[in-house]
Amino acid sequence: MEARGRRRRYLAERRGFLATLLISPAVLFIGILVGAPLGLAIYLSFTDATAGSLSGRWLGLGNYRSALHDQIFRDALWHTVIFTVISQAVVIVCAGLLAHALVRRFRGRWLLRFFVLLPWAAPIALTAIGFLWFYDPQASIFTWFLVHLHLVDKSNLPNWLGTPHAAMSSIITVQAWRVLPFATVIFLAGISSIPQEVDDAAAMDGATGLKKFWYVSLPLQLPIAIVAVLFGIVFTATDMVVPYILTNGGPFNSTQVLTTYAFQTGINAGNIGEGAAIALFMLPLLAVVTIGMLVFARRAEVT
Amino acid sequence: MPDTTDQPAEEQSRLTRRELLKKAGAGAVALGAAGSTAPFSFAGPLRYKGRWLKGDLSIIQWVHFVPAYDDWFDNTWVKQWGQANDVQVKVEHINNTLLDTRAAAEVAAQSGHDLFFNLHPMASYEDQVINHASIIHEIEGKVGKYGALAKASTYNPKTKKYFAVSDNYVPDPVIWRHDLWNGIGESPATWDHVAKAAPKLKAAGHPIGIGQSQELDSNMALIAFLMCFGGFIQDEHNRPTLGSKKTVEAVKFMANLFKTGEDSGIFGWNPASNNNYLYSGTGSLILNAISATRTPEAQHLPFSDNLWIWPIPAGPNGRLGLEHVMGCYSIWKFAQNKENAEKFLADMCIHGKDATMASQLYNFPSFPGAFPFKSIRKAAAADKNKPSGKYTILTTIAEKYTHNIGYPGTTNAAVDEIFSKYLIPQMFAQVSQGKLSAQDSVRDTMSVVKGIYAKWKKRGKI
Amino acid sequence: MTRRWRHGAFAYVIAVPFAIVLAFPFVWMGVTSFKPEAQVYDPTKVWTFHPTLANYGFLFHHTGYLRWLRNSTFVGLVVVLLTLAVAVPAGYALARLSGRVGRTLGVAIFLTYLVPPTLLFLPLSRVISKLGLGDRLWALILVYPSFTIPFAIWLLMGFFKAIPQELEDAALIDGCSRLGALVRIVLPVSLPGLITVVIFTFSLVINEFVYAITFISSSTNRTVTVGVPTDLIRGDLFNWPGIMAAILLPSIPLALVYNAFLNRFITGFTGGAFR
Repeated sequence: MEARGRRRRYLAERRGFLATLLISPAVLFIGILVGAPLGLAIYLSFTDATAGSLSGRWLGLGNYRSALHDQIFRDALWHTVIFTVISQAVVIVCAGLLAHALVRRFRGRWLLRFFVLLPWAAPIALTAIGFLWFYDPQASIFTWFLVHLHLVDKSNLPNWLGTPHAAMSSIITVQAWRVLPFATVIFLAGISSIPQEVDDAAAMDGATGLKKFWYVSLPLQLPIAIVAVLFGIVFTATDMVVPYILTNGGPFNSTQVLTTYAFQTGINAGNIGEGAAIALFMLPLLAVVTIGMLVFARRAEVT
Repeated sequence: MPDTTDQPAEEQSRLTRRELLKKAGAGAVALGAAGSTAPFSFAGPLRYKGRWLKGDLSIIQWVHFVPAYDDWFDNTWVKQWGQANDVQVKVEHINNTLLDTRAAAEVAAQSGHDLFFNLHPMASYEDQVINHASIIHEIEGKVGKYGALAKASTYNPKTKKYFAVSDNYVPDPVIWRHDLWNGIGESPATWDHVAKAAPKLKAAGHPIGIGQSQELDSNMALIAFLMCFGGFIQDEHNRPTLGSKKTVEAVKFMANLFKTGEDSGIFGWNPASNNNYLYSGTGSLILNAISATRTPEAQHLPFSDNLWIWPIPAGPNGRLGLEHVMGCYSIWKFAQNKENAEKFLADMCIHGKDATMASQLYNFPSFPGAFPFKSIRKAAAADKNKPSGKYTILTTIAEKYTHNIGYPGTTNAAVDEIFSKYLIPQMFAQVSQGKLSAQDSVRDTMSVVKGIYAKWKKRGKI
Repeated sequence: MTRRWRHGAFAYVIAVPFAIVLAFPFVWMGVTSFKPEAQVYDPTKVWTFHPTLANYGFLFHHTGYLRWLRNSTFVGLVVVLLTLAVAVPAGYALARLSGRVGRTLGVAIFLTYLVPPTLLFLPLSRVISKLGLGDRLWALILVYPSFTIPFAIWLLMGFFKAIPQELEDAALIDGCSRLGALVRIVLPVSLPGLITVVIFTFSLVINEFVYAITFISSSTNRTVTVGVPTDLIRGDLFNWPGIMAAILLPSIPLALVYNAFLNRFITGFTGGAFR
């Protein structure tokens, strides 16, 4: 008993040391390259810094207050939520289905997986430009199909980026299209990494089909699935490339999200302080979502 | 190519910046002569006697809409200037939409290019750049006065500072298909004509296309349109006046024009869309610079000869247009090679003629004396494209109908912010799409505009 | 037999429509890339036209396309190595070794990732210029791990946690050290996770745009995402066929490589979860 206790303590001590050793490079790197600039960005959001300059007069919460009074900002906040939630909901459902299909053994699987991976392999900054062409008011290939399938009337062609609802749907589609392969691969990896032994044990206990999925596969995949969802949300809420290139927030700000609006305000219009405040507004929101999901994930892990 | 034999370098380094600027032009006159007789061939090494300048020069600018211009700039002008002044010049081109981002990054880094070019006056960067007054005075000494348009765009009367030097601007005509308009017996002389013709053109499958989107061309077209109706963002004292009855009228007129004569594609346009609309053979009228006629010429599109260039249609308040692009160079306070940048910029403006020719009459010199309208007209008359002489009207447009953004006031940080946030296209589009009434839309926009003015006023820039 | 068939049928019914939707844009890119530039707007030549290789020729001979590709690949590979070197130990430590403190730290690492990169480039550009890295590919190599490392740590944590503790405990009792257990037991089992990290890190890097345009200005150091919009969009004229070709060319080999990786680990495990 004595010996075992000592050994355990010894391990625990080593654990702490080892953990510090293993984690510190990451912490250092992130601290310097994200933490420090983030600190500066927070500082800037309290100032009237203009046009690229990294200092300004202290305004306190002035930028945040004026953002809250700004109708475009309030719209942008709401659009960000819609853009993120809808696109990610679509992604989760589709990725779950797709991963369970693609993990099976069937003829042509390789080719299908290749097709599914393509959107993730292509640089989004470029594919978004490509989508400008697919959504082109005159030469849209989607419109061509709809017309030739007699789904739309020639005199009333869809206007993919020109009306508020169509534009929002269009950017959500592109975002979902782009994130879907990513989520699928994470789900796939999650399914695949369930060790054989666990599966065997489940089979021995007589768990099959849905029951097995619910009680065995799902809990084991959940930590990974949560990561996929979280990153999907973060990619969508913090990355502006799709709305920036496709609509630049238009028509009349109906697809303006916080990132594009922060960019327009901070960079194009030269109000760094205001732009920083707009950009940072999302941070607490996302933090709440994240922590909520992580807590949920941990609870799920225990089961 | 170090050329230090003529005069020892140390002696030259004692020359002050002012003297240096005075020398601008002296050596480059020969250069310009060589350039204008054989604009695309290099006549052999031109040596500027002596060596006043030290170090290098780095320039960043857009990818020009007329490709031939970049060719001339990089391979002829910069090369000759570099050899004449014995300076290693490095030029980078980036897509015009990225210039703002780049500028912000350079200021944040406090390091970057010696000469920074942007397509609009960077009024909000005033504190980050040198006062360019001395450069302008030197150029004025050589080729005459700085154009009024350029001054209104790059001078802040409140702080008495030139925050940039404009080397060129681009007149913004209306470009229309003569064959299509002729088919219905109309022409875009006034906005009333346009409103009358638009439904017929649309019925014929060739709607007109004036953008109402979050992009440059819509911004330009709509602000100019507004001015033709007597709606102005600000008055001559830079006080906001957008919320006028005339603005409401203009917005109503445009909403009606859209409903009767346009496609809803215009709400989702990017800066290339109106060009494509024309190139596809659909569009019958757009407001754009002449890059929109140069491309059909280069690609031999069937209707190229039917593209006519006119001044902006007249409204109740007359014919008031904008420049399409205001090319401005700025020198950062933290630039490494200020002297070189100043001299380059001065020489560039003094030889504005070469740039205009190389850009196929796209660029117009901001110092009109560098290439007087009469001479431009002559050059335009020599243009071989049909209908012959179509480009001569550009000088009239430039002389009479081209104003700065923010006219009758100056282009300042508030105007720049209104422009960068696309408030004017929004004001129009939400009425055209029936989301708001014209009165409400103008009132809402005005309240945002007032806030912007108050903010910049507090910062002492207006 | 029927069961197997049912398995396959489910897969086809789900996967084929998705594959069509996801890959169609690339089919259309392919078609457009062979179209003569003057015909892209011609409604009579949507699918039928005389194909040309001119657009590819333009890309290779009149732009720095190959160089951009080389730059992107170089940055991508170096960042992948850096990311793995930092994230594997950190992910393992956070998943297994540290208690409450570690968990909080893990959340903190994730939270930094929530910072929108929209404005971070401003302060970072100061750092880059102070380090004298302006306009160097090394600037990107230094900055990109700031978003790939948190991502990789989190992905790996998930994978490491999914590995039953018992596997490791067995090794520890057999006298293996912690690190030994990591290398010999945990890493091989979490190969899918590692491969996922490699793929995603690389694609995140290839995707990045804002840092690339702000830190790189000279044409020789451009990456693909910067080069293409600069040289193939001429102001208000998009060279659509050229752009399509430029997107397609790196996408296909990358998707092939990703697929080859995926194939390895999925094949190795199939019959596990869905036998």
